[in-house]
Amino acid sequence: MTDDTTPTADDRTDEQVRTDGGTDEAARTDGGPPATVPPDDETPTWSERKERSQGLAQLTYQYFERSRREDEDLRTESTYVERDVLGFPTWPHETIRNLAITSFFLGIILLVASILPSHFGDPANPGSTPAIILPDWYLYWSFGLLKLDPINPDLAVLGGNIVMSNELLGLIAHGAIFGVITLVPFLNKGNARRPVEEPGWAALGVAGVILAITLAALAIQNFFPVQLELLFSLVFMLPVAGGVVTYAVLKTMREGYMYDLNRRYYMLRPPK
Amino acid sequence: MSLKKQDDMDHNAWLKSQDLTAIETVFLTTLIWLDKRLRIVDYLELLETMYYRANLQMPKSHTEQYDLDNKFWYWYPLYSLGSLSIIAYLLAAVSGAMLGFYYAPSTAGAVAQGDPTAAYDSMVMIMKDVQFGFMLRSIHRWAAQFMVAAVFLHMLRVYFTGAYKEPREVNWILGVVLIALTLLFGFSGYVLPWKQLSFWAAQIGVELALATPLVGEWAAQLLFGGFTLGQATLVRMYILHVFVLPFVVTSLIAIHVGIVWVQGIAEPH
Ligand code: HEM
Repeated sequence: MTDDTTPTADDRTDEQVRTDGGTDEAARTDGGPPATVPPDDETPTWSERKERSQGLAQLTYQYFERSRREDEDLRTESTYVERDVLGFPTWPHETIRNLAITSFFLGIILLVASILPSHFGDPANPGSTPAIILPDWYLYWSFGLLKLDPINPDLAVLGGNIVMSNELLGLIAHGAIFGVITLVPFLNKGNARRPVEEPGWAALGVAGVILAITLAALAIQNFFPVQLELLFSLVFMLPVAGGVVTYAVLKTMREGYMYDLNRRYYMLRPPK
Repeated sequence: MSLKKQDDMDHNAWLKSQDLTAIETVFLTTLIWLDKRLRIVDYLELLETMYYRANLQMPKSHTEQYDLDNKFWYWYPLYSLGSLSIIAYLLAAVSGAMLGFYYAPSTAGAVAQGDPTAAYDSMVMIMKDVQFGFMLRSIHRWAAQFMVAAVFLHMLRVYFTGAYKEPREVNWILGVVLIALTLLFGFSGYVLPWKQLSFWAAQIGVELALATPLVGEWAAQLLFGGFTLGQATLVRMYILHVFVLPFVVTSLIAIHVGIVWVQGIAEPH
């Protein structure tokens, strides 16, 4: 048995009574030999550990055992084809390729940095608000979200007053966008990968990209010769239009495209 | 017989008996010196075993098995966007560290409203007096912008190839955190020169923080060091930009890439 290795005082035959009347064992302060080490170098299996433990630890081992068995079953029934390495060698192929990509990219950054130096303005003046306040371009969309005041709901009960401050509306909009993006993997499941397989989700993505661009345009509205009303409508209409077009195009493509794909793919791996 | 302990494995004598070039001698001497102290040969052996286990046999990839290669090879470049984010991040880190030698996060020195502050002056000094300083700042700014662009596009690539689906949800969520932190990186850096646009961008930040229900004032205190902008704001943005965010973002990127390593790239099908 591997479980019961805890030494107890009576088991010891070689115990010497010491001169002070006590035993070596009683004088020990290190708690004795560890209780869980099996006598030989055999590692206990998951089932043995499961039997020896209780509570959460036992549940954990129970799960480990199942998952180990599942792996083994899958491996034995698998028809997966193994092959010898056929990829590119790390040296020189992969290394040179990565070096090429890296130096090309760094080169472009350096080139752009040298021909388009950055803007530098006047020192901060808390006393005078500039006519145009702008962050870097990549935050324009976020800045646009702060200019949603035309759609801030007002209530008759409040005498036409807005329900919340425009800043709070902007914050909520940010929260909603980040929330939706975070939830994407939990809303769209299944193993479809290509946009043609899920035109709806592709349309949503395209609408999102266009929305980011139109919101950016809203942020720099001062630069647009269009009326604010019109710009504001476009901000929300263009993404919808883009989404609809994407959906239509992908649906149409799907007809011809899926036929070929189905033949190659689903015949080899029939859906469960 | 001498009292000196006999060395069964006299590596040095063996070394001398070999006919080695200078490079080989130096290499072997170093190796032996290190190995006597750190037993590196054991670890090298382990590494080598792992390397062969991992590389000799690989399962046929999905692409190979279903002969899909001709269908999507033209998507491959999009798969380098994550790495490009990292490269731009590293370039920004290096140029940023160099800017850090000259920049002073201080609003001191302004007598009247609108006078240049020490922070502003140090930026002017970098651009006008420091050798290569103008270029350095330009490189730092552009590296940051390329990083943000690459991260945006990387996210779109992941979205449109459905690479976020099981089992990669965790990495998607990590990615959302990473993009938010990347933008915060950009924002905090934008404030540092303490020019008009920096100041008023930060002003909008404070107003937003204050508009948050319940935690608004607390958040404004924490991030901006108060309700009106000043020295405290600048130092907080500085510490965020050069201390907190670099550690947090670097670790998160390491975890993100570690997970990709463990799970493998999602192959399109
Ligand atoms: C600092 C920013 C980021 C860095 C440095 C980074 C880096 C990487 C790298 C190097 C890969 C390997 C595959 C590739 O390069 O395409 C990867 C994969 C991945 N990234 Fe990111 N990433 C970042 C941001 C994001 C964002 C914003 C998202 C999405 C919200 C995201 C989600 C993912 C997912 C789900 C994968 C796995 C994709 C697959 O297996 O095909 N990452 N990331």
